[in-house]
Amino acid sequence: MLKLFYRRLALAICLVGVASALTFALIASAPGNAANFLAERAAGPKATHELVQKIEHDLGLNDPLYIRFFHWVGNVADGRLGESLRTGHPITEEFAQRLPTTIRLLLGGGVVACFMPLLIGVAGALSDGGVLDRSLRVLAIVGASAPNFFVGALLVLLFSVRLHWLPAFGTSGLLSWVMPWVTVGLFPTCVLSRVVRVTLQELMSRPFATTGFAKGYGRTGVLVYEALPNLAVPFLTTFGAQFALMIIGAIVVESVFAWQGIGAFFIDSIRFRDFPAMQAILMTFVVFFVFVNLLVDMVCMLIDPRIRRSQFESA
Amino acid sequence: MPATIEEPRSLPIYEVDRLTVDLYTDKRTIRAVDDCSFSLKPGETLAIVGESGSGKTVMTLGPLGLLPEGIAVHLRGKALTARGDLLAVSGRHRAAVRGNDFGVVFQDPLSALNPMRRIGPQLAEQARRFAGLSAVAAKTDAISNLRRVGIADPEDRYWRYPHEFSGGMRQRAMIALALASRPKILLADEPTTALDATVQAQILALLKQIQAEDGLAIVLITHDIGVVAGMADRVAVMYAGRIVEEGAVADVLKTPTHPYTQGLLSSIPDLDTPIGGRLTEIPGAPPDLSSLEAGCRFAPRCFAVTPPCALARPSLAPLSSVTSTTPTHKVACFVMQSNCQEPIR
Amino acid sequence: MINRLRERLGGISPYALIPVVLFVLVAVFAPVLAPYAPGMQVITDAMQGPSFAHWLGTDYLGRDLLSRLLLAARVSLAAMTIVLVSALAIGILIGSIAGYVGGKVDLVLISVIDIMLSLPSLIIALALIGIVGPGYWSMIAALTLAWWANYARMSRAVVASEVHQPHIEACRVIGASHWWVFTRHILPSVLGVVLVYASADAGALVLSIATLSFLGLGVTPPTPEWGQMLVDGMNYLEDSPSMVLLPGLALTLVVVSFNVLGEAIALQKLPRAIKGRVLLKRIRARADEEETVKRGVQ
Repeated sequence: MLKLFYRRLALAICLVGVASALTFALIASAPGNAANFLAERAAGPKATHELVQKIEHDLGLNDPLYIRFFHWVGNVADGRLGESLRTGHPITEEFAQRLPTTIRLLLGGGVVACFMPLLIGVAGALSDGGVLDRSLRVLAIVGASAPNFFVGALLVLLFSVRLHWLPAFGTSGLLSWVMPWVTVGLFPTCVLSRVVRVTLQELMSRPFATTGFAKGYGRTGVLVYEALPNLAVPFLTTFGAQFALMIIGAIVVESVFAWQGIGAFFIDSIRFRDFPAMQAILMTFVVFFVFVNLLVDMVCMLIDPRIRRSQFESA
Repeated sequence: MPATIEEPRSLPIYEVDRLTVDLYTDKRTIRAVDDCSFSLKPGETLAIVGESGSGKTVMTLGPLGLLPEGIAVHLRGKALTARGDLLAVSGRHRAAVRGNDFGVVFQDPLSALNPMRRIGPQLAEQARRFAGLSAVAAKTDAISNLRRVGIADPEDRYWRYPHEFSGGMRQRAMIALALASRPKILLADEPTTALDATVQAQILALLKQIQAEDGLAIVLITHDIGVVAGMADRVAVMYAGRIVEEGAVADVLKTPTHPYTQGLLSSIPDLDTPIGGRLTEIPGAPPDLSSLEAGCRFAPRCFAVTPPCALARPSLAPLSSVTSTTPTHKVACFVMQSNCQEPIR
Repeated sequence: MINRLRERLGGISPYALIPVVLFVLVAVFAPVLAPYAPGMQVITDAMQGPSFAHWLGTDYLGRDLLSRLLLAARVSLAAMTIVLVSALAIGILIGSIAGYVGGKVDLVLISVIDIMLSLPSLIIALALIGIVGPGYWSMIAALTLAWWANYARMSRAVVASEVHQPHIEACRVIGASHWWVFTRHILPSVLGVVLVYASADAGALVLSIATLSFLGLGVTPPTPEWGQMLVDGMNYLEDSPSMVLLPGLALTLVVVSFNVLGEAIALQKLPRAIKGRVLLKRIRARADEEETVKRGVQ
């Protein structure tokens, strides 16, 4: 199994490499010249053509694409992500300030999206076609359809503006995290609840479920002892996909609640055409996705006894 | 042997009375079992024979509530055990009876065993729940159970997953699982169909041995007459949801009376069949179980059919014939009963 | 009649199709249905609640909310259609080439497709918008490029499996050109699979358009779009929440319609167990049938 792990790791690294090369190429070939911009900022309207050319030369903007790429990779390896065109500060600094916020947001949302779907899905499966099952199904569909910015706005309207229970802005104190976590976690929760419910339904009609009944279990017993262990792998796979997608939710939530996280940084850099920042953030995203998927694959491989024990196949 | 000791043993341990099972899907309704009855005594093996779709599995597993989810089922009749009528009790009670008194062996052990659970703990769990053993005793019991069914190195195998066993081993493990709760009745649904011939013989021998040791009653579903001949005491032949012939194995196999049984047995090639000769077949095809019609269901394909056959359903009644030695040999056929005919062979 | 409709639609419930059709109709006929021009500002009427003149009230610039909502539907539908058609065209083209030609071409294309699929669509769209700058057409282009990969993967799978079918080889043997074989035999299957997926996927696309507009990177004022209306309304959440609630509800309803359609399509492939009253009815019907048979025999 270790061989499988190395293969996956190598694949992941390749993916990151290719994706970063692509994004670099795209952004570097974008219209709009960073040099012009920097010259203007340095010298105001008196920026001369020579100044622009000098900056271009200094920054190596005239070198062929692949050389620029390797320079950039080298810098990243050294921990230098460049300077933001918008603020002039090193991007690493911005990251250091903003990353904790976004990570906390994702983790909270992740916890919600991990446990709630299990509760909801199992409750629905126990009810099996009853009122609870059908209502949960409707709620899951609606929750997966509502835009997350609308959900956020609704929560703010209800709990901040009308009821004054929760603070709408600021990142201090646990209470100020509740609404953002719910907003970020709602969509994945609804999607995962449907997946859990449908998977449990399918698992209950498999032959080993019948064996479970033959053992003398009732429906609840079969659901818990026979079906649930088989839920782990499909659940984790979908959870991994949804967790990676949560970054988009984080971007929106940071906008709704006016938080300064990586998501907000990304949007600002897009609006401002701040290419070095966009480059660095996109790279971070790519690394994040690839490694979340890698982690999920690894865990699934560990959990599934058929893969884990393949070397013990005996007669 | 004195009659008083014989008597308790001749009382049936499981009795199905006038069972009718309808299956409802959103597309059609099927009568899988149509007014069937049978009984099972302790220590005896009843074989149920029939082609696919004849209702053997539904009749055997249906009363226990073991039909797959997703199909709406309506059962009528009675299924009597020492703990009550399975069709009349609550789901919970039925589950308790399933666990305590019945053990089930399914056809394909690879799909019937949970791929994410180890074998040993499942056996121990059954022993704990139904045989009243403590956790430690249950584990020991499970290991000896594995050893008993012929699995080598049971201490190691206890912690293994199903996919780590070979086909024959898996079926043995499933038998161990069925026996773990110390049942009185074993239901085996084509337990050897998925195995190759040598392993088949071993499994059947194992079942026979366990039956002799524990006094188990066994219901054996099969479509293989050879298995019937080798294992069973009595046999019931099913066609289109009805039992058409029933009796001691020796009687039914030597003197098959119902035209369907005769057709079944004569279609088996034996050493006397000339090479290159044609195999006898039963003409026609099995009927559509979703339509309810009067009359004998085998009539369209029967070589002995007469006009009354299509009007009323023949009921299972003993042969009043000098060639049949016991009144337990029953046939559901107007022609064969009334004529007391010698079966055509 | 409902059942005949059901059959025409391949087994899915016609009720699932109604909301989507309604949305399309409303969006197409919006200019006719809207009582006011969307840009018409009467500042003195700003932020009013529902009234006879303005059924859903007005926004902070005095514009009629109902008209804006209706026209925003049109904007969403138009944008969604353009993106879907383009993404489908590109995706089916690339996927079919990959599946039909096979070999090295396939290897290259499938790698590209996989890389595109390893990133969420919206991130790709955001990156592309970042490169070319925000605006309506850059949003369209960015979303198209973000969306085609999934359709390409599906088309490729269908084409790759169909290409090796005996009847295709037979056509080639009798001299049919590649183009003829593809369009007559393979393309219908591809379209069948991909269009079904796309119809359910449309909801996600509407959401993406709204999200981009919400972030200020898609449809920009004064063109009405639900996401964009919502972000404007955020400033007035306390005073006039309808500016936030109405577009949000509209969006939710439209996406629910598409998701319901998607579920209906997915469910029709599975056999359903019947329960409850329906089952009891069937049981009684069966018992009656039995009685008639028995009586007939006597």
